[in-house]
Amino acid sequence: MDYYLSVATFAALNVILALGLNLISGFCGQVSLGHAAFYGLGAYAAALCSVAGLPFAVALLAGVLTAGAFGIVVGIAALRVREDFLAIVTMGVGFLFLGVVRKQDWLGAEMGIARIPSPLDKTGYALLAIGAAIALLLLSLHVRRSWMGRAFDAVAQDEDAARTIGIDVAGYKIAAFFLGTCAAGLAGGIYAHMTQLIVPDTFNFIQSITILAMVVIGGIGSSLGVVAGAVLLTLMPELFRFINDYKLLVYGALLLAVMRFSPEGLAGFVRRLTGWRPA
Amino acid sequence: MTLLEGQGLSIAFGGVHALDDVTLRVSQAELVGLIGPNGAGKTTLLRLLTGILAPDAGTVRFEGRDVTRMPIHRRAQLGLALTHQIVRPFPEMTLLENVMVAAALERTLRPWRAIASVATAAARERAMALLRRLGIEDAAYKLARNAPLGYLKRMQVARALALDPRLLMLDEPLAGLNNTEAARFADLIAELNAGGIGVVLVEHNLGEVTRIARRLVVLHNGAVLAEGAPREVMARRDVRDAYLGAEAHA
Amino acid sequence: MYYAELLLIGLVWGCTYALMALGLTLVYGLLRILHVAQATVFTLGAYVGLLVANHTGSLALAFVAAAFAAGVLGPLIYRLVYQPILDKPPFIALVASIGVLIAMEDGFRLMFGPYGLSFASNPWFTSTYSIGGMTLNVVQLWMVAAAVVLLSAFALFAARTRAGVAWRATVSDPAMAESFGVGVIGVRYTNFLIASVLAGIAGVLVGLLNNLVEPGMGSVISYKGLAIIVLGGLGSVPGTLVASLVLGVVESYGTVFLDKVMDRDAIAFLFLIVVLMVRPRGLLGKAH
Repeated sequence: MDYYLSVATFAALNVILALGLNLISGFCGQVSLGHAAFYGLGAYAAALCSVAGLPFAVALLAGVLTAGAFGIVVGIAALRVREDFLAIVTMGVGFLFLGVVRKQDWLGAEMGIARIPSPLDKTGYALLAIGAAIALLLLSLHVRRSWMGRAFDAVAQDEDAARTIGIDVAGYKIAAFFLGTCAAGLAGGIYAHMTQLIVPDTFNFIQSITILAMVVIGGIGSSLGVVAGAVLLTLMPELFRFINDYKLLVYGALLLAVMRFSPEGLAGFVRRLTGWRPA
Repeated sequence: MTLLEGQGLSIAFGGVHALDDVTLRVSQAELVGLIGPNGAGKTTLLRLLTGILAPDAGTVRFEGRDVTRMPIHRRAQLGLALTHQIVRPFPEMTLLENVMVAAALERTLRPWRAIASVATAAARERAMALLRRLGIEDAAYKLARNAPLGYLKRMQVARALALDPRLLMLDEPLAGLNNTEAARFADLIAELNAGGIGVVLVEHNLGEVTRIARRLVVLHNGAVLAEGAPREVMARRDVRDAYLGAEAHA
Repeated sequence: MYYAELLLIGLVWGCTYALMALGLTLVYGLLRILHVAQATVFTLGAYVGLLVANHTGSLALAFVAAAFAAGVLGPLIYRLVYQPILDKPPFIALVASIGVLIAMEDGFRLMFGPYGLSFASNPWFTSTYSIGGMTLNVVQLWMVAAAVVLLSAFALFAARTRAGVAWRATVSDPAMAESFGVGVIGVRYTNFLIASVLAGIAGVLVGLLNNLVEPGMGSVISYKGLAIIVLGGLGSVPGTLVASLVLGVVESYGTVFLDKVMDRDAIAFLFLIVVLMVRPRGLLGKAH
């Protein structure tokens, strides 16, 4: 039972991460290859708070806001650069986070932060994570339908044209980054308390790519698709144990296959098959 | 009352003076035709007026307000609308959705208010009405990337109108249209102007521009060559030379 | 003296980066694709070179083999991965390239083991050379020599040969080049061939430098390569070369002064981000 709870919790965390990235890249069209950095920021901020004795809720909030604050900074930086440059800048943000954290003794350097207090039990985390994931899904679906979502769409499709119809492109991009990175921060906070030990290497480029893979394979832009992608990629190594050894090989091959044959991911596949476009 | 005033505008690109001390005034509800041979600087001037480019020197005032350094979206929010020479629809939206996003300016104005706003009925009605006005409501649900050029051009105007603009800047709206289509579209632009919207029309189709414009401004080599009533301007020797001279060397 | 040595080491690294980044800039200039998978070609070159060297004892043969293997893999990646998706948005190609990168990195790990292989005999590794009081590893010298030779050869190629001129024409205006009878497809394959051979040779050199060839050796250099081509102004060959050297030197000094604050890779990317904020088009970038 414990095992299933663990898996479910991780799946939920991945859903949160993927939905956050989907907001930035799928809804608003801003490439972000450094999402793991915000996951890490949330984890570290929350861990530090808890280790310092602050209540669990405060720690989680700290995680969310720290990630969100840095998200705004990156969003502002993103305004200066376009597309291809943005991909590399966000990749750079990821490496910058990692490189700085690894060297800071007060953050535990390479060894990370251990003995993080854990106020909940396995069931508690599962409920928390799943609850948060569902809430985020509902929020995502709402944003999509709202005028924010429509404005995001305009920005994603043609930001210059969007400007000429009065859309504050800069404001929307920053909003997207804020929302998406706050989500990552929340996931980080939960993760830190759940595992009680966080190390820098967890939040590396491969992690960013894994989250990207969930979004892309699920169907970038589609909240439901992205949820499916996250769940699938979490369960896959568990269902097919032998895959664990070849995890990255499979991810890479999947990414390649999806890009080549169905760039709109699972959601696109479902749409072609049934005509229904998953939101 | 002067609606738009570009005063002493100059801009150079890598040593080439695209515009040199150009002044352009548009009055309330006036239809001004901006013409000139290729490379005269017409599109550059339009871009300066809408904010896509920033001038090296000079000012732009809209309804008395200095907008020279104002970002594009703020100018649009104030009532200065633009259509592009090469149509720029939102490709994955339907024509209706394209116009709706503009029609909902109030709702999209502030991102954090937009998140709470879901109602689309009003925007949809307005957008539909605009599509009808432009005569393209039959293609309302067609995806922009599948729509023919004529429809997209009209959609662009509808989208610009959705902002409730006081001034409409149209960059070669008649390009690529055949004679009948061009005449009809020109009539439509004249109608919009008659309804009280100022229009700056950059066009190569001299026949139509001289027909509907109240005033022509001729640009040549980045400077204003002539200005005045269409008939007078077109009769001028130097204007003809500018066009023919440019063509002879083209 | 110390600072001069840092400068020199920085330049040596810069040469390594240049060999990698030139390939990336070639691909970007031609196809607007961020060829992250370049790392794969680099690593393959290193493994092939090492295996051949260990088997035959000949470094010369190792380089030839590496160049050959890389020269095959690169264009193959183009044909199988990029060519079918050229019409799609660039994001798709980037993600596909990342897919190739992580898949093949894992593939190398499975084939050759995660801990890496060493050269059986690596005479260059241990011998050093002294210039004016500073000592350099012989491999480092070869790195610089290779970079200089190969890049000059490329410059000559681009300027003097028919293929080179055809290539330059295609980069600046593919449609026009085609109407002049330039075989655009051929240019693309040549492009990938050159980019890959450079990467493969660089792979062997880096393997020799560290006396270690391991599955992940290409990735960081590839990511930094991307940072470099952005710094140099996407698609600009001179810019890339300058940026490579600059980055090498910045890292060299940076790791000494900022040692307590951040690691080498972070320094590189921090530099990138700072430069881009000040000059969004890169150090030598041109306006779009």
